[in-house]
Amino acid sequence: MAILQRFLLASVFVSCLVATCYGGVSFKSLHPTLTVTATHKEGVLKAGLDNITVTWALDPSAPAGTDASYKTIKVKLCYAPVSQVDRGWRKTKDDLTKDKTCSHKIVAKPYIAGGAVATATWTVQRDVPTAKYFVRAYAHNASDMEVAYGQTTSTEKKTNLFDIEAVTGRHVSLDIASICFSAFSVVSLFGFFFLERRKTRIAEAK
Amino acid sequence: MSTEIEGSPGTSMHGVTGREPVLAFSVASPMVPTDKTAHFDLPVDSEHKAKKFKLFSFANPHMRTFHLSWISFFTCFVSTFAAAPLVPIIRDNLNLTKGDIGNAGVASVSGSIFSRLVMGAVCDLLGPRYGCAFLVMMTAPTVFCMSFVSSAGGYVAVRFMIGFSLATFVSCQYWMSTMFNSQIIGLVNGTAAGWGNMGGGATQLLMPLLFEIIKSAGATPFTAWRIAFFIPGWLHIIMGLLVLTLGQDLPDGNLSTLQKKGEVAKDQFGKVLWYAVTNYRTWIFVLLYGYSMGVELSTDNVIAEYFYDRFDLKLHTAGVIAATFGMANLLARPFGGFASDYMARHFGMRGRLWTLWTLQTMGGVFCILLGRATSLPVAIAHMIIFSIGAQAACGATFGVVPFISRRSLGIISGLTGAGGNFGSGLTQLLFFTNAKHSTGTGLSYMGIMIVACTLPVAFVHFPQWGSMFLPPSKGVVEEQYYIKEYSEDEREKNMHLGNIKFAENCRSERGNRVASVATPPHA
Repeated sequence: MAILQRFLLASVFVSCLVATCYGGVSFKSLHPTLTVTATHKEGVLKAGLDNITVTWALDPSAPAGTDASYKTIKVKLCYAPVSQVDRGWRKTKDDLTKDKTCSHKIVAKPYIAGGAVATATWTVQRDVPTAKYFVRAYAHNASDMEVAYGQTTSTEKKTNLFDIEAVTGRHVSLDIASICFSAFSVVSLFGFFFLERRKTRIAEAK
Repeated sequence: MSTEIEGSPGTSMHGVTGREPVLAFSVASPMVPTDKTAHFDLPVDSEHKAKKFKLFSFANPHMRTFHLSWISFFTCFVSTFAAAPLVPIIRDNLNLTKGDIGNAGVASVSGSIFSRLVMGAVCDLLGPRYGCAFLVMMTAPTVFCMSFVSSAGGYVAVRFMIGFSLATFVSCQYWMSTMFNSQIIGLVNGTAAGWGNMGGGATQLLMPLLFEIIKSAGATPFTAWRIAFFIPGWLHIIMGLLVLTLGQDLPDGNLSTLQKKGEVAKDQFGKVLWYAVTNYRTWIFVLLYGYSMGVELSTDNVIAEYFYDRFDLKLHTAGVIAATFGMANLLARPFGGFASDYMARHFGMRGRLWTLWTLQTMGGVFCILLGRATSLPVAIAHMIIFSIGAQAACGATFGVVPFISRRSLGIISGLTGAGGNFGSGLTQLLFFTNAKHSTGTGLSYMGIMIVACTLPVAFVHFPQWGSMFLPPSKGVVEEQYYIKEYSEDEREKNMHLGNIKFAENCRSERGNRVASVATPPHA
């Protein structure tokens, strides 16, 4: 019992030690120095079929030397606020290590200084869920920390959003296999049942 | 030995509690005579029920029945909770909200409240072998239905239908009571229940693993999870066929004699129900089990998603961690029963009640801490202690239930079991369906509710043994408590004799004071 008590006390003590984590970069500290655009076909985009062409460049009005620390640009597909409602796993948090707004990677390219516009075309992946999206690009420094960003929508994330429709994941072959196995289960069960009933009736009649 | 009225309501549930007064791996011959004319692998009594429990044997019919039974129950747990570790994928495929996920969790445990009630009647009509096979093979199509699901409504409906399969608990216990002598049925049933519950843990390990394998074979995520569901479906069919081909209803294989037994004098269902329902202790235990078994079922549904989201783990890593929660049932539940028995030897019923309170409250406290954990190792440690507390409390609950009533034991056990499912549904509805608070907050609230709902155990008072804080009423003995279940007329017909014998056997619940209280001469 004493050992158990000590173990319990130790557990309670350990549990009270809150492990400190190195906080990530705060989104509020970043400046929107990148101009990002995303072009795609009209209407709802289909996952697995349609493309999005993204471009990004340093904002011409940004003061010189802003991009001195930019090493990589990571472009991501981000959820619009309307698609985050009632879905805590997509929540926006200021700490970028905890932020789940931009969970889908589009492309990552090294940053080329000089103000030229970079482009990339991306086919919407098959595991992208049905939702409203916008595109955001983060500039990372040499230690892979975010230092700046740019996005295709306004600060409130209400304008210039586009819809993506996910694949259903269903296949006709799966449906058919499912029906076959279900039928097998039911038929073999009733088959056994009636066969055995007939056998006992014959045995009793003897 | 207590005499049983054959076929009376609730006799099929005897032993469900796993804690009937005599618990052993075997019954010695003078107590129960061995039938020497029978040629079975194990020593048997006059009804050819086994007197010995040989765990690693598959001999026909007794041990084979045990293994068929618990594996079928395990399979149903696997399929009922198969969706839980895959929720991070399913929620993206079907565009689910937190409310949808919570509702599906509630649905998965609600169906069996009704199916368990029906299952008893099915076993009486068709026998446990067909009862088990029917349930397992008729719920196989519901598992395969996951490949058709394309909306939140469909998802909730399919999980509700799969949940019906948890009624295999009833067929499992019923079948073993036809195969094992009532003196060892306690341990046999307790082991089967615990090992079946492990399926809720095994599935957290199995499904993400299957998902990864299928994905690496080339399927896209939204198809891979649907294919993964075929495996539990096949397990249903395989177990159903094994039960039909290898199983038999009775040691002698004859179903019709089982039906003939029902012609012996039955107890009145209405009376049995009345004594169960009017005993306040029944309802306290319904509540308690809702917060030990109930939270176990709820946690099976949410824990993998919790680890995946909060600590940014890979799907199969979250599954491995979640699996340890359910797999602890292997030892934790029997440990709870053992702890209850051990404390009873020294402190009697008071010891049992304190053990139950301590284990369940400990589980609740660590559930609160689990919800607030911010680092992974701490969260895992809290989860393990929480699981041991909750599951041992399940075992300890059924350490007390047999003493509430002897006449209505079956119904009280059934109500307690239903309370577990109901508690699970309620908890998921309250804390895991609302998007306003995170899963972590939900776990902490659930922990607070566990602690609060365990307090009523202090009100359970047995006049002959006392309660957690009060001593026994002066001069009251066990017989007086158990005699009350039969009216004057029934006592004249000597229907209460079984209870007298039971009361004699219960004297050990006085703890160390057994010798000090005088036993009255028999009425």
